[in-house]
Amino acid sequence: MLKEIHMPKLSPKSDQYFFGEWHKQPGDAVKEGDVLFEVETDKVISQVESQEDGVLKEQNVNTGDTTNVGDLVATIEVA
Amino acid sequence: MIYVPVMSLDVYHNFGLEYYLMTEHHFNEPVFMLWSTTPTVMLGKYQDAAAELNVEAVKRNHVKVARRYSGGGTIYTDQGGCQFTLIYPDDRTEIDFSSGLELIQKALNQIGIKATTDSRNDLVVGGRKVSGSAQYVTPGYKLHHGSLLFESNLDLMNQLLNVDPVKLAAKRIASVHQRTVNLNEQEPSWTAADFRENLRQAVYDLTSFQEYHLIADEQARVVEIGQQRFADPKFIYGRQGQGAFQVKRYFQGGGLVKIAYSIYHDQLADVHLTGDFFSNLDAVKFEHALDGTDYDRQRVSNVIRDQLAEDPILGVDADQLVNMLFDHV
Repeated sequence: MLKEIHMPKLSPKSDQYFFGEWHKQPGDAVKEGDVLFEVETDKVISQVESQEDGVLKEQNVNTGDTTNVGDLVATIEVA
Repeated sequence: MIYVPVMSLDVYHNFGLEYYLMTEHHFNEPVFMLWSTTPTVMLGKYQDAAAELNVEAVKRNHVKVARRYSGGGTIYTDQGGCQFTLIYPDDRTEIDFSSGLELIQKALNQIGIKATTDSRNDLVVGGRKVSGSAQYVTPGYKLHHGSLLFESNLDLMNQLLNVDPVKLAAKRIASVHQRTVNLNEQEPSWTAADFRENLRQAVYDLTSFQEYHLIADEQARVVEIGQQRFADPKFIYGRQGQGAFQVKRYFQGGGLVKIAYSIYHDQLADVHLTGDFFSNLDAVKFEHALDGTDYDRQRVSNVIRDQLAEDPILGVDADQLVNMLFDHV
């Protein structure tokens, strides 16, 4: 089953974040709690963890993209 | 709260120490540190070195270049200033500067410095910035660090920090420049060391922290992290390991020629030609011809020869321009 990963809300002040780098690549096994990617907002780098166990299927954003809270960021194939 | 004394002035060591305490030691209570550096510029995690730094001034003044794991803009630090670090065990990923800034602000107020916060999470005195802050968050821990200017070399700082929007690579974070001031305007009788010690004492009065000294194995691990993660030129200057360069040469009878460029994936990028030379050369066309060319002397030479064959530069030949791109590295 495919599970969509959406950009969580990370800052009380802002809903628009600078997308940093991916820590997992398509095809990588992902466990709950693994860092998937990081974003920068308001001078803060935040690492976002996976809530799922599975395999990263697709990355929908790239380094430097502006992303909004709720945007589709990735899909994970879960068992 | 735990206080970890820091003796090193080496920025890579001290960033390694922060990272070690955050990701490997895992204290169950907040950790506080005060530290300084030799003259250093610190880029934010996703900044473009070429656009932020005057590389020539950095080299001339033997200033270290470092990249933080935190966000935000480029700052200058030296032994006239003081860095603070706070590491919190924290499961919330939401951003919050308030607890760290409140502690530093209270400590400054206690030693007679009337600092307040502004909307960018900076500390200001009389409207001028004296401290900037940034954070990074890893699962379970949050690190907040910041810089306090006491008697830092602000003239050198202004020479080193550039912010050239023309050179800013697409999709990078640009610094926001603000008016800064040294805190010794408030307490001219103190040295930077006095300031740091008074601040440490004030934080102790507010928190009754316990001191923790790293054992030898931990110190060795900190050095290792500093070298592997923070002193790595690939991390500091870009993923491909090459830097951003600005070369300036004066040619008798030709004038001043300035070329700025970066190298990405072993190709020239962001080439920028300026100067007071005489030519009908279209600089933008010249730059576009070089962008994407393999960083190979013969290939670059061919492109420059073709460009100058159409529009020569008075008193400067193709070989001299090629030398500027290869012989200074």
